[in-house]
Amino acid sequence: MTASLHCAGICKSLGGRPILTDLDLRIDAGEVVSLLGASGSGKTTLLRIIAGLVEPERGLITLDGRVVWSKTSVIPAERRRIGMVFQDYALWPHMTVANNLAFGLKAQRLSDRDIAERLAHALDVTRLASYRDRYPTELSGGQQQRVAIARCLAARPALMLFDEPLSNLDAALREDMRIEMMELVRREAITVVYVTHDQAEAMAVSDRIAIMRAGEIVQFDTPRAIYEAPADSFVASFIGGFSIVRGQVRDERFKIAESDAETVRTPGARSGDGMLVIRPEDARPADAYPDNRLQGKVLSSAFQGRCWRLAVDLGPQRVRLDWPEAPPVGASLAFSLPPERCVVLTA
Amino acid sequence: MATAHYTDPAGAAGGFRGGRLAKASLKVLALCGAPLVIYAIFALLIGLPLALVLVQAVMPGLFAAQDASRVLSLEPLSRVFGSPNVAVSVLHSLELGILVASTATALGGVFAILVHRCNFPLRAAISAVPWLVFLTPSYLKALAWVLLMSSGGYLAQFGLLPRWLGASFFGLTGLVFVHTLSLFPLPTFIIGSALAGLGSELEDAARLSGATPLRIWLRINGPLLAPAIALSFIATFAEVLSDFGLASTIARTSNFGVLTYGIYAAASDYPVDFPAAGAQALVLLGLVLLVVVADRLLRRRADPRLISGRARPARLYNLGAWRWLAMAVALAIAFMALGLPLTAIAARALTQTLGHGLIRSNVTTVNVVAALSLNTDANDGLLRSLFYAGLTAVIASSLALLLSAQLDRASPVLRTAVIGLSLGAVAIPGIVLGFGYILVWNRLPGFRDWPFPHYGDGSLLVMGYVAAALPYCLVVILSAIGQLAPSLMDAARLNGVRTIRRLLAITLPLILLSVVTAFLLTFIRTVFELPMSQMLIPQSGPPAPTLILRLFSHDRDGLASAIALVAMAAAGLGAALVWYPLQRFVKPRRSAVPVEAVSPQTVSAGTLP
Repeated sequence: MTASLHCAGICKSLGGRPILTDLDLRIDAGEVVSLLGASGSGKTTLLRIIAGLVEPERGLITLDGRVVWSKTSVIPAERRRIGMVFQDYALWPHMTVANNLAFGLKAQRLSDRDIAERLAHALDVTRLASYRDRYPTELSGGQQQRVAIARCLAARPALMLFDEPLSNLDAALREDMRIEMMELVRREAITVVYVTHDQAEAMAVSDRIAIMRAGEIVQFDTPRAIYEAPADSFVASFIGGFSIVRGQVRDERFKIAESDAETVRTPGARSGDGMLVIRPEDARPADAYPDNRLQGKVLSSAFQGRCWRLAVDLGPQRVRLDWPEAPPVGASLAFSLPPERCVVLTA
Repeated sequence: MATAHYTDPAGAAGGFRGGRLAKASLKVLALCGAPLVIYAIFALLIGLPLALVLVQAVMPGLFAAQDASRVLSLEPLSRVFGSPNVAVSVLHSLELGILVASTATALGGVFAILVHRCNFPLRAAISAVPWLVFLTPSYLKALAWVLLMSSGGYLAQFGLLPRWLGASFFGLTGLVFVHTLSLFPLPTFIIGSALAGLGSELEDAARLSGATPLRIWLRINGPLLAPAIALSFIATFAEVLSDFGLASTIARTSNFGVLTYGIYAAASDYPVDFPAAGAQALVLLGLVLLVVVADRLLRRRADPRLISGRARPARLYNLGAWRWLAMAVALAIAFMALGLPLTAIAARALTQTLGHGLIRSNVTTVNVVAALSLNTDANDGLLRSLFYAGLTAVIASSLALLLSAQLDRASPVLRTAVIGLSLGAVAIPGIVLGFGYILVWNRLPGFRDWPFPHYGDGSLLVMGYVAAALPYCLVVILSAIGQLAPSLMDAARLNGVRTIRRLLAITLPLILLSVVTAFLLTFIRTVFELPMSQMLIPQSGPPAPTLILRLFSHDRDGLASAIALVAMAAAGLGAALVWYPLQRFVKPRRSAVPVEAVSPQTVSAGTLP
């Protein structure tokens, strides 16, 4: 039975340094939520607090309205019915795949029949039935990851936690495993909290993303909403390799700071200091939006498959653009931006 | 689903205040309980005896049989420092320590380079020799060399011992010689592991820069191995200071007084002089403390991670025709350190007298039969030691496993404290700890009349053995547990597995080899443990080490050698019977365990340029 999760006012510090500060998070049953942030943002600590592996100092954690942690009542990790896929998978190396799956079920004193049924189902959906008698070290990285997921599925947890589960896989395998993994959890309709520092991964797996910075959630929304309207420059720079350009807005026109460049139209932007968000894929030929034209010098170009990613110098500031061809380094490049895509954040 | 309520908000009402208090106390106890138990075990086994040794040194009347007083006095210390004998003992200990530290480090370094970096026939077999030498007690090696080097000994009988050499052996020369052959394994282990950690990449880089082999060793490997060489020197020096085996054999018969034997003599020879024993123990502890501090400072500076975090496996030098010389040198060291002493013990055990030499008419099985026959003093002593050793190994390794599992979840402060205590306790001379046990269990009110363990009883000797072995076991098991990824236990917790089952089903199988290693090391060391055995002889009869020394000093060296031989065979056979099947069973999976630190291995390739 999948469960909703509510964390309220969670505080945690380590060695006097605050790790989580009055953090709130509410996740609906069956929802997949990613905690996205840089190293040290507190996302793994929050995950371990939810699991019961780390004790917070203050706050309240409920699963389906049932308190699992408060100052006065604590359900230990062993009894929370929370599954976790660890970064290193944490497969017990001295047990076969089947024993890895059955170990926790035996601890729950399930009948042999129930254990056999759950094992069969978990091994079946993860396509591991033929590997049941192998030891973890006799499996590839992808298979090990599937065993870790199967172990969680067999336990039928109320909530599944993923701690950067793809970080140990090579790039080619990572995407395949991500698709396969999310198919599995979606099919089982399990509530998932997924920790990652990779924004592309977070975008791909999540219903909603909580972007964390210094122990706080700075934006919590759907991937599309965050992409379209990042809450601040931190979120904007963290998501999608956006470029942030400092300047001033006057009469809905943005002028790049300390530059002679032309102004660009930014409908709806408030007057005053601001930061223009430029998404690489928004760059258009100069004549597409002649009223929103900028010019700079090409610093470098990198082939990306469908386009080239250019680094362009706009005077004191630098932007990244996707461009259909690679102009020579040092060449002048004129481009334009669709006005409706020009988001200006408050400085 | 059950909920663990630490405190109950409903209990805030006045009527429940008492219950809430009780629950709060339980919570505090649950939080503090484990650390308290860990500290209490250390305090009882090591801290209290050591404290009494120190207190005794400045309160000489504290444990006087009559008119005990708590008056502070520096009289024992001033007496000890004023006594020419003690001053000479201190100087002898220091002189011996420095000389042996130099020679053993040189020999161990050469041996380490030979077995870790050179490819020669029998290398694998010879590389096991340091372990066997390390596990053979020093007093047995000393007694073997007495059999070999005395004027009527085996070497003289074969005409291999010039008269002048035999005479000079019983003094500083002989002590340095036997200590060097006995302690070279320590530098071999330390320098060997540094060599393995160094890998070959730095050397390869130097070769590509045009450096010759000599220059590479002088300018690259040498400086990088300097901390390991210094650590070897310090560790060997501390071992010599703490040694009681040679002190009570060759040194005693040569009238070469050293501190450890001085403590034993003051605490056991009539008239017993506890204050003098305490003052000498204080001096010895002070010297050992200086060594430990030097060791800590050096280890901090010589962090191997600074040298190489990802060294590739080292290559072996292909020595060409020189490999035979390398083999001869390694075999010679192995023969002198292990083969010859063991042969001497075996020869003496199987002959009637030393003087009649190795001739057929002198061969007898009487001694061995006496050691093996039930209801003889020799067999009783032997069985007693094997039983005590088995019991000690079970208790010490189980206790170390439980403490390690607790410590793994403990705060970093407690963990650091216990690791520090364990490493410190390894350096405490056994003779000092043994003396402390006499003070606690023979003189301290409350402990004196305690029924179990009781002074003069085998139980106290076993407790002493456990105290001596626990630090070793803790270091071995803690380091194994430290290599397990914490996520393995976290995963088990999230699967609903409780503490004891986690320990038995996850932790223990993964560190089984280390636990068995701790068990076997403890078993073998305890069978031959001398200082505790000498200090805490049970009234039921002496254990094997005491018996061996006693028989030697009463010229019954044949029977003493037979007991030693049978004890070595029993300990070795027992260890082999446990180790080899277990290793075969565990190794295939262990080799594939990703959580164990992969130690850089040595592979055979390359040519010495």
